Amino acid sequence: MRTCYRCLLWLHPPMFRRQFAGEMLWIFDQAAESQGAFPLFFDGLGSLGRQWLLRSGWWKIALALSLALFEVVLGGFGAMLFGRRNLVEPASAPSVGSIAEFANHGAIAHQPLTIGIVMYLAVFVTGGLMVMVIGLTFWLKTFSSRRGHAGHRLR
Amino acid sequence: MIEDYSPFLPLSPAALHILLSLAGEDRHGYGIMQEVARQSEGQYKPGPGTLYDNLQKLMTQSLVEESPRPPAHDDPRRRYFRLTSFGRGVLSAEIARLETVVREAKACLHAPRRAT
Repeated sequence: MRTCYRCLLWLHPPMFRRQFAGEMLWIFDQAAESQGAFPLFFDGLGSLGRQWLLRSGWWKIALALSLALFEVVLGGFGAMLFGRRNLVEPASAPSVGSIAEFANHGAIAHQPLTIGIVMYLAVFVTGGLMVMVIGLTFWLKTFSSRRGHAGHRLR
Repeated sequence: MIEDYSPFLPLSPAALHILLSLAGEDRHGYGIMQEVARQSEGQYKPGPGTLYDNLQKLMTQSLVEESPRPPAHDDPRRRYFRLTSFGRGVLSAEIARLETVVREAKACLHAPRRAT
């Protein structure tokens, strides 16, 4: 059981592991007989989940990526509705009629997919995704640090 | 100069017990666990994962800090923690809040019930 607990500690985020894993293992050695090894093991499992999901900051990256993927999907729909038509007919603005035409007949299916259009989409989608990930990560980082130091404000 | 403790209140039960256990003297992790169990008469026994998760949070909020190891203890794995003055202020504010809650609860429970 000690080996399992040690593996569990090893799976924690590096910063937490460096700070507390040694003493947690020492406590496990001390308390396993009186409290039982299984409750300590399950407590360690809970700690593992909390550390990765709430404390390590990975959720920020996951949220940023999810929103970026959402943006890509929206961008894809936008490109299907407006982008390719504008490439073929740059002077004409999208109208309700053109959207209805697309909805009724799938007009976009008649236009060939060229390498230029794919490159155009790839550049904009990648750029948008990068900007969103970087922006959200920095914003959430400053947001968290502001919340952490809120108590030090003087009245 | 009045410090604003309101963003930290109310404290979670684990944080309250940890701060309370450090109010008397500096302790290492296992010492905190034992003191919390004693204070709660065995009803609340946080595991090491819960304890260090809370300690990490309290240290980030500057309520608790690491203290130098007493020379008598040579086990390098033992780390000692102590309450900061800011942490003591937060604990006092939380106790004052709880006193108000208890006073209000007693008044409500002892007052005769009225039909609505």
